[in-house]
Amino acid sequence: MTGLTAARRKAKARKGIFRELYETFRDGDAGTRLSFLVMGFGSLVKGQVIKGLLYLASQALLVWYLAGFAWQYLRKLGTLGDVGMQRVWSEERQIFVRTPGDNSLLILLFSVLSIMVVLGFLALWRANIRSAYRAQRLKQQGKRLPTFADDIKSMLDERFHLSMLTMPSLMVVAFTLLPTIFMILLAFTNFDQAHQPPGNMFTWVGLDNFRNLFGGHPLIANTFGKVFGWTMAWAVLATFTNYLLGMVVAIMINNKGIKLKAMWRTIFVVTIAVPQFVSLMLMSQILHDQGPLNALLKQFGFIEQSIPFLTDTATARLTILVVNLWVGIPYTMLITSGILMNIPKDLYESASIDGASPARMFFSITLPYMLFVTTPYLITAFVGNINNFNVIFLLTRGGPMVTEYYQAGKTDLLVTWLYRLTVDRQDYSLASTIGIFVFVISAGLSLLVFNLSGSSRREEEFQ
Amino acid sequence: MKKLLSLALVLSLALTMALPAFAAAPAKLKVWGAQDDQAILQEMVESFKAAHPDVAVEVEFGVVGEPDAKTKYLEDPAAAADVFAFAGDQLMDLVAAGALYEVTLNREAIEAANSPGSIEAATINGTLYAYPMTADNGYFLYYDKSVISEEQVKTLDGILEAANAAGQKVMMDVSNGWYIASFFLGAGGKLGLDAEGNQTCDFNNERGVAAGEAIKAFTANDAFMTGDVNTMLPGSMGDTIAAGVAGTWLAEGIQAKLGDNYAATKLPTFTMAGEQVQMASFAGYKLMGVNSLTEYPEEAMALAEWFTNEENQIKRFETRALGPANSNAAASEAVKANVALGALAEQSAFAVPEKDVRGNYWTPAEAFGTTMEAKDYSKDVKTLLDEMVAAITAK
Repeated sequence: MTGLTAARRKAKARKGIFRELYETFRDGDAGTRLSFLVMGFGSLVKGQVIKGLLYLASQALLVWYLAGFAWQYLRKLGTLGDVGMQRVWSEERQIFVRTPGDNSLLILLFSVLSIMVVLGFLALWRANIRSAYRAQRLKQQGKRLPTFADDIKSMLDERFHLSMLTMPSLMVVAFTLLPTIFMILLAFTNFDQAHQPPGNMFTWVGLDNFRNLFGGHPLIANTFGKVFGWTMAWAVLATFTNYLLGMVVAIMINNKGIKLKAMWRTIFVVTIAVPQFVSLMLMSQILHDQGPLNALLKQFGFIEQSIPFLTDTATARLTILVVNLWVGIPYTMLITSGILMNIPKDLYESASIDGASPARMFFSITLPYMLFVTTPYLITAFVGNINNFNVIFLLTRGGPMVTEYYQAGKTDLLVTWLYRLTVDRQDYSLASTIGIFVFVISAGLSLLVFNLSGSSRREEEFQ
Repeated sequence: MKKLLSLALVLSLALTMALPAFAAAPAKLKVWGAQDDQAILQEMVESFKAAHPDVAVEVEFGVVGEPDAKTKYLEDPAAAADVFAFAGDQLMDLVAAGALYEVTLNREAIEAANSPGSIEAATINGTLYAYPMTADNGYFLYYDKSVISEEQVKTLDGILEAANAAGQKVMMDVSNGWYIASFFLGAGGKLGLDAEGNQTCDFNNERGVAAGEAIKAFTANDAFMTGDVNTMLPGSMGDTIAAGVAGTWLAEGIQAKLGDNYAATKLPTFTMAGEQVQMASFAGYKLMGVNSLTEYPEEAMALAEWFTNEENQIKRFETRALGPANSNAAASEAVKANVALGALAEQSAFAVPEKDVRGNYWTPAEAFGTTMEAKDYSKDVKTLLDEMVAAITAK
């Protein structure tokens, strides 16, 4: 039974929605045909009263929603508002009485919401037609129609997945999908500090923001290129230094000659116990120009001038990498030591019988094995580093700032630059454009590297 | 049964998540103020209710400090406070976003009661947009009397000489747009707005470049020191730091540290192309504004006016040592006896309103200061200032 419906459903899906709708209309009786216009009509005339009424109610609800709420926003989606805030002097009250104008932000937000509601409704509309047609067919075949109680039962039985997943899916749409689409759309508007609701309106500008970012606005484009370059350099360096050094630490602890293995491992893991942002803020204080470290070095007479750990381009970049090592190594150590213990010992034994040096064994056995297993982890770490807001923001806040950049500093990543553009400058459209670019880069690289990696292509070889 | 149960669970979970969105907002006024001001704001509301029995208000407080008010407001203007305190430099951005209700009720009385500078800082194109609350958001010079004489403190050169002789430092956070501006503004530089409200800046003209050279010389001096004034000055003045530029919020800490050697005065003059030029400063006022989207404009205005009247400005001075913008309150003996506020008043003659400064200014100005502090001379001052001005005036 289930197998049959599944097969039929598949066959239907292959036909395409429009063809299915056309055939239903062609073969349908009056009740089915009228269901195209009045939802639930087909069910109602065939005696499925509750179901029919529910469909009808949903249609009424949509009309009420569109007319009472959504239409005032949807009709302005093209311009994102044309009437600004109005103020009229009231002699009696001695104040400017305001009538709120169009709020571009709300127009955009509620329009996106309404379009999603309408799409959801269309799915319901299609279900209504199908249900009417099914009822018609069952009646023609002289079979009993499912009652409302039967439908409810099926919702708890063979269609239980629908009942379970409807609410969560709606939540995902409302709290994840809707904001994402909304933010992406901002990239095509001029929502910046000169176009701030509620006093001002913003509007569509097409691809202007993308053009500015890629050369149209020399200052922004130049900053974007430089910041992007450092972001990539940082992501590569931070990922691989952490990975290699974490592995080296794990190997050293795993080494036969090392005593008190558990203690060493625990000491490293203790740094994880302190929340990362606390360690980072402490580090930023310690490494400050007048911080304790510089004061100490001066007192011991090692240096005369403070070392600009966080205020000189090259030093700051190096400092960030080193501090990142300090917070990151324990994690890689934990991950890799588990895998290291899994490498078959006989590989090493035969290698040492053949007279291989430890270095040779590392490069020919350990590293290939590790890379094979941990490529997906490396990809995640790399993407995480592209967006590693914490380390940069808490240590240097993107500084040292330079005059040749547009609102950015030498250690700014795209994501921290984006933060400054939104929080300090309310330059939302540009920030959204950068956000889209970061997403494309992270998603593109992840897919590419993962598909080329051994982990995905030679899965069966994994032992 | 199990299935029913899990379904009910998922539904109730989903509902609890969605519920808060439907809770209706009660009709009342929301007030934003700094964390430290919460208690006195509460008291002021009580006295407001006592003084206006005919006005029914229900006040809800939110903790948003003056420096963050603009950012928090613009995140969601409709959900922002009806009455909120903000730093004077945010006025232009807020007005440009249409955020503030024009002050039209009792305008003349408010203008008469507060100092002309504070009124100017709250006025744009002849319209008063906010209520002056404090006049202490500026900066001046703290110094150690035992190291620097009253004669030496008049010039930057004298201060540096005294500090060098004592092996101590002079602290100024030059990599901060707020402080570094004092050189450029002193040299006659102008930060302004064009017709569309975009930032204009002439810090790269001939006098600006001369001021830039003076900054370069200052930062290159052995006695020069930069960093976080908020921790360094109360911690090290009297030990390793002889003088520092900061505002009244540090007065208590520095006075405690320096004891009898505690002194404060206006900023010194600096040597620019052979002449002595007085360092200017930003005149910082804290203002109180009414949200243009408020449902109860009259009540909100009455409350904002109450928060900033003479009595409550004195209250602010007495409980938190915040300098009053109200002329009568500022003329009181207690305020005059306050060394830090006295120095600020002296400096106010050379102060420039901050309202024409938009968000674009700060990062590029910080960048120039950072380059000078790092003694990175790979580009000359003129080139750096050209780049800085280009970034400030971009778009």
